[in-house]
Amino acid sequence: MQSPPKLFLRFFRWFCHPLLAKPIEGDLMELYEERVLEFGKRKADLKFIKDVLLLFRKDIIKPSDGTYRINTYGMFKNYFKVGIRNILKYKMFSFINVFGLAVAMSVCMLIILMLADQRSFDRFHSENDRIYRVLGTPVIGSWPYATIPMPLAETLKEEYPIVEDAIYLRRGIGGDASFNQKTVELKGYFTTSSFFEIFSFPLIEGDKSSALSSPNSIVISKEKAYQLFNDKNPIGKQIKFEDRGLHILDIESGKPSVDWGTYTVTGVIDLSSYKTHLTFDALVSSTTLQQLYTDSLIANVSENWEYYWAAYTYLKVKEGTTQNQLEIALTDLSNRKYSDSEELADYQFSSQNLSKITPGIPVNNEPSFRLPEIAYYILSILALVIMIMACLNYTNLSIARSLTRMKEIGVRKVNGATRKNLIFQFLTESVITVLIALVVAYVVLYFTKEAFMSLWFNKYFNFELSTSLSVIFKFLVFALAIGLVAGTYPALFLSKKNPINALKNTNISKGKWGLQKVLNVSQFVVSLIFIVTSMVIYNQFKHYTEFEYGFNSENIINIPLQSNDYDLVVNEFSQVSGVTSISAVDYIPATGISNVIELASSKEDDEPFVLLNFYVDEHFIDNLNLKLLHGQPITSSREDGKYIVINESAVEKLGYENPQSAIGQIWELENGESSVQIIGVVENFRATLLINGHEIRPMALSNSKSNLNYLNVRIAEGNPLKTVADLEARWKQLDPIHEFKYDFYDQELANTNLAIFDVVTIVGYISFLAILIACLGLLGMATYVTERKTKEVGIRKVLGAEDFKIVLILSKSFLKLLIISILIAAPLSYFVNSLWLNDLPNRVELGFGTVIIGSLLMLGLGLLTIGSQTLRAARQNPVETLKDE
Amino acid sequence: MKKFQLGEFEEIVMLTVAILYDDAYGVSIKKEIENRLKRNVSVGALQSALKRLEDKDYLASLDKDATQERAGRPKRYYKITSLGKQAMQYTKETRNSLWEAIPSVSLDVKFAKI
Repeated sequence: MQSPPKLFLRFFRWFCHPLLAKPIEGDLMELYEERVLEFGKRKADLKFIKDVLLLFRKDIIKPSDGTYRINTYGMFKNYFKVGIRNILKYKMFSFINVFGLAVAMSVCMLIILMLADQRSFDRFHSENDRIYRVLGTPVIGSWPYATIPMPLAETLKEEYPIVEDAIYLRRGIGGDASFNQKTVELKGYFTTSSFFEIFSFPLIEGDKSSALSSPNSIVISKEKAYQLFNDKNPIGKQIKFEDRGLHILDIESGKPSVDWGTYTVTGVIDLSSYKTHLTFDALVSSTTLQQLYTDSLIANVSENWEYYWAAYTYLKVKEGTTQNQLEIALTDLSNRKYSDSEELADYQFSSQNLSKITPGIPVNNEPSFRLPEIAYYILSILALVIMIMACLNYTNLSIARSLTRMKEIGVRKVNGATRKNLIFQFLTESVITVLIALVVAYVVLYFTKEAFMSLWFNKYFNFELSTSLSVIFKFLVFALAIGLVAGTYPALFLSKKNPINALKNTNISKGKWGLQKVLNVSQFVVSLIFIVTSMVIYNQFKHYTEFEYGFNSENIINIPLQSNDYDLVVNEFSQVSGVTSISAVDYIPATGISNVIELASSKEDDEPFVLLNFYVDEHFIDNLNLKLLHGQPITSSREDGKYIVINESAVEKLGYENPQSAIGQIWELENGESSVQIIGVVENFRATLLINGHEIRPMALSNSKSNLNYLNVRIAEGNPLKTVADLEARWKQLDPIHEFKYDFYDQELANTNLAIFDVVTIVGYISFLAILIACLGLLGMATYVTERKTKEVGIRKVLGAEDFKIVLILSKSFLKLLIISILIAAPLSYFVNSLWLNDLPNRVELGFGTVIIGSLLMLGLGLLTIGSQTLRAARQNPVETLKDE
Repeated sequence: MKKFQLGEFEEIVMLTVAILYDDAYGVSIKKEIENRLKRNVSVGALQSALKRLEDKDYLASLDKDATQERAGRPKRYYKITSLGKQAMQYTKETRNSLWEAIPSVSLDVKFAKI
C-alpha cells in the first residue's frame, strides 16, 4: 500500500483540530488511494501536499488557547509575581545571591567570550572539514612539530589518491622590501598556486590562479602594499628584496642583509579581515626557490626528509575521506620513509583538521602565538569552581530560609498545587534571580575584560572579545542552566514538605543544618587553598624578579643592531656623552634565546660536551662586570670564533680539576671543521631563563665580530632618557630605514617573569572572588541566624547578659566552621603548593609562614563578616525585640 | 437583520448534503459538487465550510465505517438539521422574492451591451 508524504501527514496531524482530525485524515487517505490508481504516486503526492496546505486554515487549525493553557499562564504569572516580591522583600539575601552569582558568572562569561573568539578562527574557508595540517612527532611522547620535511606535500599529492591537493609553506622569508626609496619589512613563505585552492583567502588585487606560478612573483598583504605604494595599484610593480633572516614571530633580530633580487607584485591579500592562525606579510612563488638554491642564498631541503624545520604542510582530502583514512596514509608514509633512519626512526606524521588548530593541542613551531587548549581547560575549571561556590550560596541560603516560605507552600498545597507545580515555582524564582545576576554580570564583565586584556600575555594573543548576538544567546542559555542548577535542590527540598506540618510550623526547628555546614566549610577550604596558592606564586614571582644573576644589568641598554655594521654603530655611539662603555653579543643572556657549541670528546664514541655559547666582543666581560678568574680576556686582535672563555661549571663538566689547568687547552668542535682554545675562565653567572633549570649550565663565550646582534650600552647614572634620545638621533643618521629599538636590561630580565605575574593576577583574582563569595555566604547565614534569635537575645539581655557574651554565643557555631575549614585547608594548601613548587627550578622556600598568614587573613575576614551581624543583634534594645508577641 | 446566514459555497454544500441524503461524507460531497457544478473543490475549503455549518447547527454529523482503504479512519456523515432546513428554505424564498420583484424590462438585455 502506498503512503502519502510522511512529513505532511505529520504536519497535518500536528495542526489539525483534534475533533476533526480523524475523519478528515480518512478523507485524505481515500482520495490519495484513488489518485494513486488514477494518476500515479508522484502526482497523488503533490495533490496530497496541496490538500494539506489548503487545509491549513482558521477553521481547521486547533485553537492555540485551550482552557488548560490559560490556567498555566495565570499560574506562571503568579509565580513570577511572587518571585519578584520575594526578591524585593528580602533585599539582603537577594543582594547576596545576585552579587555572588554575578561575579562568578562574569568570569565564566569571559571564558565563553574567549572560546567564542578562538572558535571563530579558520572557519571561513569553504570545505574546511576537508583541510588538514600535517604534524610530525620526532620522538614518542614529545609535542608534535607543525613544521614538516619539505618533500612531504609533493609525495602525498602524487602517491596517495585520497589527497586532492597539498601545499607546503616554506619558511625563511624575512627582510626588507623596497620600492622607490620606501622600505618595509616583509615576512612570509614560499608556496605554490594551490595555496588558493586549499585556503579560501580572496585576493583583493591580482589573479588567484596565476599569482604564484612564475618565478619571482610575490603576493603581499594589503597593509604592506599600502605602505609601499600608497594608493597606487601595486600589481606589476617591481620591488627589491633583501633578506635579513627575520623570523615570522619577531623573535630574531636579524642577520646582515642579503640581496635576493627583484620581485613582481602579482597579488594583494587582505589577511587582517580574516581570523586565521596563519600570519604573513608576503607569499613568494615556490618556483623562485630554484634560483635561490643555485645562488646558495637559502638551504635546499626540498628533497631532505630529515630536516623537519623548513615548511608547514597543508592538504585537502577528496570528498568523503575520513580523517582515519588520512591517518592510515600518513602512518604508512612515515613507516616507509623513516623505519631505516638512524636519527628519526620514531618519526610519525599525524593530521590536524584546520578547525582543530585554534584552540588546539600544544604544538612546536606554530606559525602564530596561540594559547593551547589546556589553558582554556584550566581557566574553565577555575571559573567553574567559583561558579559552583556561588550556586552553593544560593542553594544554602534558600534552604536556610525555607522557614519563611513554609506557610506559602502549605497554602499552595492545600489549594491543590502538586509537587511539580511547586518545583516549577521555585525554579522560576531561581531563574529570575540568575537573570538579574546576568545583567549585573554583564556590567562586571566589562571591567574584567579590560583588566584581562591588559595582562602581559595578551600582547601575543590578540583576543577579540566582542559580544555578538550568538554570544549573547550563549550567555542566556548559560544563565538559564545556572538558574536550574542553583535552584534544583532548594526546589526539590521545599516542595517535599507535608502541607500539614508546613502549616502547623512544626518539624522545622530540626532543619538540616548539617548539609549547610558542610557546604560552608567546603567553600572556605577552597578559598583558603586559592589564597595560599596566589600568595606562594606571588612570592615566587618576587623571588625571580629580585634574583641575582651574577652579572650587573643595571644601567645597561640593549640595542638590536638590525643588520647594521658593528664597528660603525659602536664608533658612533661611543661619542654620545653619557655612554660609559659598549659591548656586543649575539643573543641577550638570560632572556630566553641561546645557542650551543658541541666540543668533541677525546674518546671516539662518547657524547660530545654541550656548552651554551654566546658570541661576544672583547668588551663584554668587563661591561657586564663578569669576574675573570684566570687566564686572559677576549681581545679584538684574535681570530674570529677560535678562542673561548668558559665558566666554572664548564671547567667541571670538561673534567678539569681547577680553572688553571683548563687554560690553553684546545678542543675539536663536534662538526670537525674547526677547533677552539680555552683562554680564560669566568665566574658562574646565569645565562638561561630562571624557569629553565636550577643549575648554572656549562657555558662558553666565543670571540666574534660577525655574529653580533645586540649592543649592550652601559650609560652613566643621571639622565638615561637624555642619553637614549641622543643615541636615537645618532641611529637615525646611520640607519634611516629601521626604527631605533632599545630595552633596559633590568626591565628585560623582569619581563621574562611577566608570565608568572599574569598567573598571580589570575589566581589572585580567582581567590579574591572565592573568599568574597564564601564571605557572602557566611554573611547570609549569620544574618539569618541572628534574625531568628532576636527574641533569645532580648531575653538574655533582660536577664543581664553582656553584649560581648551574646556576640560570643551567636558567633560560636560560625567560629567553629571557620576553624574546621582552616584545619582542613591549611595542610591541604601546603600539600597542593609543594606539589607544583617542587618541580620548579630556583624556587622560593614554601614555609609555614605563608599558610599561617593566609589562614589568619581568612579568619579575620570571616570574623569581620560574622561580627557585623552578631554585634548588631547584641546591641539591639531588648524592649524593641520583645515588645510584640 | 439577517435571520439565517448562508454563504454561496455553504449553500451549495447544504444542497449537496441534501442530495446525497444517506451517503454524505467528505469525499462523496466533494465529488458530487465537482461532478454537478464542474468546479474544483479543495478538501480544505469543503471541510472548513462543513465545520462552520456544523457550528451553526445547520448540519449534524455521525462517525462510522472505519474501513481499510481509509487507513482505519472513520467516515464522518452529515445530515441536515431542522434549523438547516429552515435556513435553506429561507435562502430560497429570499431569492425567489427577489426574482419576482425584478421588472421584466430590466432583464431585456437586447441593447444592454453594444
